[in-house]
Amino acid sequence: MTDFQWDALIKYLPYFFDGLVMTVELTVIAVILGTVLGLFAGMGRLTKIAPLRWLSNIYVGFFRGTPLFVQILLIHFAVMPGIFGKSSAFVSGIVALSLNAGAYIAEIFRAGIQSIDRGQMEAARSLGLTQGQAMRTVILPQAVRRMLPPLGNEAIMLLKDSSLLAAISLQEMTFYAKLMQGKTYLAWEPYLTLALMYLVLTMLLAQVVKFLERKYGTL
Amino acid sequence: MITVRNLHKSFGQNEVLKGVDCEIKEREVVCVIGPSGSGKSTFLRCLNRLEDITSGEVIVLEKNITDPRIDINAVRREVGMVFQRFNLFPHKTVLENITLAPQMVRKESKAKARETALELLGKVGLRDKANAYPNQLSGGQQQRVAIARALAMNPKIMLFDEPTSALDPEMVGEVLDVMKKLAQEGMTMVVVTHEMGFAREVGDRVLFMDQGYIMEEGKPADLFGNPQNERTRNFLSKVL
Ligand SMILES: Nc1ncnc2c1ncn2[C@@H]1O[C@H](COP(=O)(O)OP(=O)(O)OP(=O)(O)O)[C@@H](O)[C@H]1O
Ligand SMILES: [Mg+2]
Repeated sequence: MTDFQWDALIKYLPYFFDGLVMTVELTVIAVILGTVLGLFAGMGRLTKIAPLRWLSNIYVGFFRGTPLFVQILLIHFAVMPGIFGKSSAFVSGIVALSLNAGAYIAEIFRAGIQSIDRGQMEAARSLGLTQGQAMRTVILPQAVRRMLPPLGNEAIMLLKDSSLLAAISLQEMTFYAKLMQGKTYLAWEPYLTLALMYLVLTMLLAQVVKFLERKYGTL
Repeated sequence: MITVRNLHKSFGQNEVLKGVDCEIKEREVVCVIGPSGSGKSTFLRCLNRLEDITSGEVIVLEKNITDPRIDINAVRREVGMVFQRFNLFPHKTVLENITLAPQMVRKESKAKARETALELLGKVGLRDKANAYPNQLSGGQQQRVAIARALAMNPKIMLFDEPTSALDPEMVGEVLDVMKKLAQEGMTMVVVTHEMGFAREVGDRVLFMDQGYIMEEGKPADLFGNPQNERTRNFLSKVL
């Protein structure tokens, strides 16, 4: 550690920057797709329509009950080639991360919706609103406010877990750190840099979440 | 306006309503009294099908709401409900609470809904609170907003489930006054209440419920002054 090789690091810095862009991109897309999936699966777990409920339960159960790393391998090497005949690391990465996030976010939605007093739905329905109208205008806006902290946590988890995608050679931050190690046989330089980059990103994200909570979280 | 025939309601094995019959006419104010757990709320909630009806017939505004094919939302539009715990929407202002359903369900314009809402707020004495949020209001004020919210749909019937039970004693009067005014204007009302004074003064008829039955019913003066049923006497001796 005494002779930290700054010049080697500086040479690889543009790669790290490319990786950072990819990591942020993956996280943002997965949070968005995961939230959409989570909304449907979360409602699916609460619906009276049994087949939809089973489907949602199976989905959530599977993706919460198996390691993300295994899901990535399964999707990239088996599912995608099985369906499309080939697979791209980027698409597999997005699919795996979003499906995994969706399962956790489904639970956040379910808990958020269930935490809203039953009287809110009853009041809305007694005014003649349909189930869907009541959900959209009365229940979800309140539930989402309560979901901000756990959603923020989930986004931070996703950001960190996207590092696993290096295993399918998706060119995000961790991939380039490994690349640098392979080429230079240095370890401290790439991995300490990598760790610090994740730390800065997660801290920034935590600030964003805090800001959103202050802005929208109070009722 | 409302006809109930042989209404049964069970929660699992627990039969809460064991055959209720009653008829409520236009402009009538019917008060429902009875001990805790006797099924008063459940009965009221069956009248707009907030509870699934186990068996029997409930006909509201000439629609048999026990029939799963009827459009229940169309019936609920005409039947306002006020809850013990107000159930205002905490993320919306007073005005938004009141205009939500007229705009969304009745497709009223924003301006029209707003105008009606302000008028109703004036009627319940809260015009200056239009832009407040529910948690900035006292219990009595919240309940008056809840009444205005229900009235904004221009309902033909109003259901009240112990509208003053969650209030501090000094706020009960302001809510009862609003209800009394409504009754005088000819609104058809079904009111579950522990306020015997209100039932006696404003009610046209009182139903005494116990153990899932309507044990006795009659004009307030008769039921309070000369109860026929042993259980009614027993109950009244405790609450009066
Ligand atoms: N959603 C429910 N699930 C199961 N049991 C219920 C439900 N709602 C009410 N009950 C039961 O039905 C019975 C009657 O309840 P209900 O609320 O109608 O009584 P009530 O006369 O309104 O009493 P109170 O004066 O305390 O409000 C009670 O034994 C209650 O436990
Ligand atoms: Mg009750």
